[in-house]
Amino acid sequence: MPDMPVLLRSERTLTQQIVARVFRPLLVKVCTGYLVLLCLIAIFVPFIANGVPYTMVIPGSSGQPAVRMFPLFRDLASVDLILLVVAGAFLIYLIAHFCTRKEKALARVRHRRTWFLWLTAAATVASILIAIFHQNRLDALDYRDMASAGQVSDAIFAPIRWGYADQEPLSANLINQMPDSRHVLGTDTAGRDILSRLLWSTRIAMGVGFVSQIIALTIGVLVGALAGYFGGIVDILGMRLVEIVESVPTFFLILTFVAIYGRDIFIIMVIIGVVGWTGYTRLLRGEFLRIRQIDYVTAARAGGIPLWRILFKHILPNGLTPVLVSASFGFAGAVSLESMLSYLGVGVAPPTPSWGDMLNSAGNPAVVFHWWEALFPGFLLFLTILAFIYIGESLRDAIDPTSLERG
Amino acid sequence: MIPTLVGMTFLLFAIMRFAPGLTTGGGEYSSGMMSSRQAQQAEQQMMSKRLHLVDQNGKPISLPMQYIYWLRDTCEGDFGTSVQYNQPVMDLIKQRLPVTLIINLISMVVIYILAIPAGMLAAVRKGGVFDHIYAFGSLALYSLPVIWVGSMLLGFLANPQFLNWFPSAGIHSTNTDNMTYLQYVGDYFWHIALPTLCYTYGSFAYLSKQVRASMLDTMHQDFVRTARAKGLSEPVVLIRHVFRNVLLPLITITGMSLPGLLGGSVIVEQIFSIDGMGRLAFQATFARDLPVIQTVALIGSVLTLFSYLLVDICYAIADPRVTYD
Repeated sequence: MPDMPVLLRSERTLTQQIVARVFRPLLVKVCTGYLVLLCLIAIFVPFIANGVPYTMVIPGSSGQPAVRMFPLFRDLASVDLILLVVAGAFLIYLIAHFCTRKEKALARVRHRRTWFLWLTAAATVASILIAIFHQNRLDALDYRDMASAGQVSDAIFAPIRWGYADQEPLSANLINQMPDSRHVLGTDTAGRDILSRLLWSTRIAMGVGFVSQIIALTIGVLVGALAGYFGGIVDILGMRLVEIVESVPTFFLILTFVAIYGRDIFIIMVIIGVVGWTGYTRLLRGEFLRIRQIDYVTAARAGGIPLWRILFKHILPNGLTPVLVSASFGFAGAVSLESMLSYLGVGVAPPTPSWGDMLNSAGNPAVVFHWWEALFPGFLLFLTILAFIYIGESLRDAIDPTSLERG
Repeated sequence: MIPTLVGMTFLLFAIMRFAPGLTTGGGEYSSGMMSSRQAQQAEQQMMSKRLHLVDQNGKPISLPMQYIYWLRDTCEGDFGTSVQYNQPVMDLIKQRLPVTLIINLISMVVIYILAIPAGMLAAVRKGGVFDHIYAFGSLALYSLPVIWVGSMLLGFLANPQFLNWFPSAGIHSTNTDNMTYLQYVGDYFWHIALPTLCYTYGSFAYLSKQVRASMLDTMHQDFVRTARAKGLSEPVVLIRHVFRNVLLPLITITGMSLPGLLGGSVIVEQIFSIDGMGRLAFQATFARDLPVIQTVALIGSVLTLFSYLLVDICYAIADPRVTYD
């Protein structure tokens, strides 16, 4: 096509343009960088903070040869492996995306879709297999002691030599230690390393955010799309449902569930998602109401395109930008809700660390205040929530046409 | 409104009744004094009758009828008897409500007194130093987690290790009996200062941001330019013409915060050991005190719906253009 109009040649969609505009300021870049870093830590934390060495050599004795072992890799839990698989799939997808950037638009889209499907399928199957067949090892050996006592040689440890549940011996007077060279940020009431627990907590924070918001988005998009597109009785029923769900106090719903079924962080994630979809529905309903009257939708309908394609391929991408704003606030809300629950002792079950739980285990601040046990987790929590809210605000300003006036 | 209310009570009822273990009463919590098995069973039966699970002859009542009985009792103002405290739920709420209400009202007044001028100032000085500091500061304030702020305040300001300026728990000192009235009030305020601060800062940030955005929206409208062109002074323009329009989003926000007014914050009350509504509900949940949980949840939900209605009515009063047919 030699004479392609300029407008068509620009391959960037409205959403892409907005995203590009949002990420221009430095502070937004910093916030995004911070969140990406948190995600990376959440995935790779077993390699960063672990009491088990990457590799070590058991010296040979009485004629047997020395054996090199890789205890850290052997001890990885199912969750670690599944996260690694997901991260690997995402990485492949990113690489494929950048390699095919120069291809013609249509070919690329088709290419990408097949790729994406295969990749998702492979990652899902691998995750399910791991969840079913992988058995977590319980490794109670203290490799640090073994290394310092000379029982093993050539041990290479992770940068932080403490796992999240590794306790100092209670007799050694190393509980509630101020930050020192042995524990960079000190130890808590059970003699566990604060820094290690801080890093491991990113898993819970990010996990709660992602799982709950994916569930909320799925329900919210479905209900909002149907209510907005069909209108009439469907709309009325849908919006009544939204009002009913909105009037249920989320916090107490979760408390009730925990009181009945015991602590389970996955149930909490699901409940936050199942109750938190109403905002998405309200937004999307409005967008669908607006967009369904535009001519191209009528044309698509006249062309006999199946309903789900009209809804999710033709309308949804044009109404998605406000949802991004809502999603980043939703993520912040979920993280903060989880921390509150863990603070009250009804979130994660010990010894799993979470920032809220760490604040809780800092003890009653009015009696003995171990400031290092409360200061750091709270600060990270604050930074995380702030980053999400700041990105959300910038997105909103970028979308809102009147924001230029407001500045 | 009415269909939503019915649907909501239905949902609440369903959640409570299908939750295993809730309807059997408090178990070990309630029967601490009676240890014999028979006594426990007798108490179970009492409970079941009280909750309308069985009728006078001990026959089980069907679920729809349970629902109707519960609705009838609730409408008559009978919220049942707490399993945990063996007291009518209404009395419990009467004990716990004043603290929550007072802290909430004080923080609300403080928020409005501070947030409206701050938001207006930021809007008027748009692009200035104050606005820039304010823009980031309000976001930061808004995202400060209460659990962290509460712990830090207690740890650094109410702890003999650091500064012992404030009391750390409760709402009264131990020697209230020999205090004059003024001292008593002062003591009360001294106790609720930190909790009130925890309630205040987040809402302050949120509210003043809304005021600023809404001010800026309004200041670009034509009628403001007309008012200026007429030669009205700047304060008159801002207060008589702009602020009237800023009121509308404020009404919405105030309305949405009404349910929290009676509900209280579990977190703040837990951190500062204040026996208010939030803590009542929290403890009731873990003692499986069904009547209390049901009542608190019901009050919260009804207030939410009621505040929607109130917002609509206030809108019509504040803005003559709004009509509901």
